[in-house]
Amino acid sequence: MNNKEEEYKEIFLAEAMENFEEINRLLTVLEKSKNDKNTVHALFRITHTLKGNAAGMGYTGIAEMAHVLEDLFGEVREGKIVLDESLYAPLFKATDVLGALVNSVRDGKEVKYKGIKTKLEVLLKRAHENAADKSEQEPTKVAISNDNPFAPDAIGVGAQPFVEEEAESPDESDTKISFSDLVQVPVRKLDNLLNLVGELIIEKDRILASKVNSGRGSNEYARLSRISSDLQYSVMDVRLVQVGFLFNKFHRVVRDAATLEKKNVVLKLEGTETEIDRNVLQVISDSLIHIVRNAVGHGVESPEERKAAGKPVEGTVWLTAKGETESVIIEIKDDGKGLNYDRIKAKAIAKGLATAEDLERMTQDELSLLIFEPGFSTMDQVTAIAGRGVGMDVVRKTLDSIGGEIKVSSEAGVGTTIQLTLPSSMAVKSCLLFELKEEVYAIPLAYTESVISLYRSSIHKAGGGLVASHLGKNIAIVFLKDVFDYDPIMVGQSNNALQKAYDSVHPEEKLDIVVVTFNNRTVGFVVDKLLQQKEIVEKPLMKPVDKIKFIGGFTILGSGNVCLVLNVPFILHFIFSLSSQGRSSKNFSLN
Amino acid sequence: MAEAIVSKQNENTSQRSLQIVVFKLGQEEYGLRIDQIKEVVITPTITRMPQTPSYVKGVANIRGNVIAIFDLEDRFNLQRNEAQLSGKKYTLVVESEDFKMGLLVNEVPNTISVNASDLDESVGIIADANAEVNYIKGIIKTGTRLIILIDIFKVVDQELTTNLKKATAA
Repeated sequence: MNNKEEEYKEIFLAEAMENFEEINRLLTVLEKSKNDKNTVHALFRITHTLKGNAAGMGYTGIAEMAHVLEDLFGEVREGKIVLDESLYAPLFKATDVLGALVNSVRDGKEVKYKGIKTKLEVLLKRAHENAADKSEQEPTKVAISNDNPFAPDAIGVGAQPFVEEEAESPDESDTKISFSDLVQVPVRKLDNLLNLVGELIIEKDRILASKVNSGRGSNEYARLSRISSDLQYSVMDVRLVQVGFLFNKFHRVVRDAATLEKKNVVLKLEGTETEIDRNVLQVISDSLIHIVRNAVGHGVESPEERKAAGKPVEGTVWLTAKGETESVIIEIKDDGKGLNYDRIKAKAIAKGLATAEDLERMTQDELSLLIFEPGFSTMDQVTAIAGRGVGMDVVRKTLDSIGGEIKVSSEAGVGTTIQLTLPSSMAVKSCLLFELKEEVYAIPLAYTESVISLYRSSIHKAGGGLVASHLGKNIAIVFLKDVFDYDPIMVGQSNNALQKAYDSVHPEEKLDIVVVTFNNRTVGFVVDKLLQQKEIVEKPLMKPVDKIKFIGGFTILGSGNVCLVLNVPFILHFIFSLSSQGRSSKNFSLN
Repeated sequence: MAEAIVSKQNENTSQRSLQIVVFKLGQEEYGLRIDQIKEVVITPTITRMPQTPSYVKGVANIRGNVIAIFDLEDRFNLQRNEAQLSGKKYTLVVESEDFKMGLLVNEVPNTISVNASDLDESVGIIADANAEVNYIKGIIKTGTRLIILIDIFKVVDQELTTNLKKATAA
């Protein structure tokens, strides 16, 4: 934990130093090209960011200083204060003090800042009075030039003692050029590095595979193994960022959404220090915005409704993250009215997503997942931020693309929780290798539930598909061969395309089955032969074969051959869209 | 003055030689511009891909790059004799900014130099008759040989991508 705080501090310091230098730079720019609007805007923005960061870290001094500066630049932006020579001196002074304050976080030195702060505050107050005066007397441009020269003068005299009083301490730090302990690296370079490490791992596996028979020098290989895997984890660690960086941006998202909907909503963050691969975070950021907006738009009730229901007027949305061994779980929870299952059912029938009988059989969890179907929106009225019925299906697709999972649980009147299970790293995956038609494929372990072995005779035809019962559970069985050979043109002629391989197998033959599960759908894939479990570095396929959705990527095996990694979400989607196409498969229930 | 320059340029282009890599598909000779070709390697183990047209043989690892391998004889529906069926020994690696892929060939391709004037680009009739994307850039005639110059990326580009989309959309 202590380590984490240190890391936070490091990051804050690096950012703050950068901000400080930027303020310095922009100020000098501003001094040369007077009243350049863009520069003032930039200054305002930077001081605002710095204020927010400092307040978040509990450095009140920096926050207060930045706050005054922000106000001042705000006024300049509004045109209420005109910057002239006499104003730059206090501004630079203030910036120096700010820099000293930032440094004091590192070395714990005490820095006096109240004086310059007060001075700026006086400036601000004066500007307000001036503005008021101006509007009273004569609101013409001439007035500004009359008022201005004397305004800074008066303040300059008033604040003089403060400046002198603290002149010594910050001055020594002025002359030093400070370097941050952090280096900023473009993600592209990190990606490249990780790619290289991936190749190294593959190459290592190849060497190990070829030398394992000779039996000599096993020590050297063990060392090579250890170093390369250490290297790999170090590189992966570099790519990890804290979810807090993303979560903190949501205060604004919630505020904006709540204002639009005229609701009172507060956002609470938990587990912000959980670490996740930067790319995963980037990929899901838009999805999170959708879900959070939905929670505010659909989940939380209006203040009147809440009052009537005996809840606090203020609704709450929680964003929680927690890390598990190979994944990170992000929860978006609201204390709103919960999902309206009757409405979901009605809508599903209206949109033709499912039939009434199907819906009867579905569990609440399965019903909840319907909201992620394309074009689904239970809100009858389209509002500005939610209810367009696009978005939630995009969320689902995004999560599918990185192998994330969605779970929804909801209680009427209490609230809705959407749980996203995300891989903590996109680079290395544990996979199960298997053989199919003499090719080696890999299934990410994240999707595999179990591996079973069944005689063909215990698998039965049911409707257009196959079913087997294992440990008291009925599982849909699919010969992967049939899926890969599936020919859309042949559909018209036979609707039991998924039974072809089954018919050609001898009844007494034992079949290896990998049971995969994704988003509440469980299917057993029949494969030719199970091989081993392996850590692989998955890479995306290149054009033009990247269009083949069955395959998510590839890795290179010890033999130098290519091993294709299955895209389980798509294959399941494909199978289930087949079974819902064929009317004959209507009676075939899963699980 | 200006005219003189133009005529000189014309002369230059007609004199300029083209470097063409020639390989046999079926009974015919096909050619590719040399700058589209990266290397020729002995065909590595090809891993088949599910749900691809038959002329996409799969993907293979060539010097750490995994690229798609195409069989143009299959693509052009060319007849092959018994010997050719036995195995395609070489892979021609072609590269553009977007694509990188391998083409299967039976023999080591050879490079020839032809005069730009030997290239007849007015072969629109063929493309029209085939009613396909015009991937034939022209016919080269040198001596008794007739070489069909193709733009490999046009062969693959639109048609394959639509094909693949169809296969996965189902």
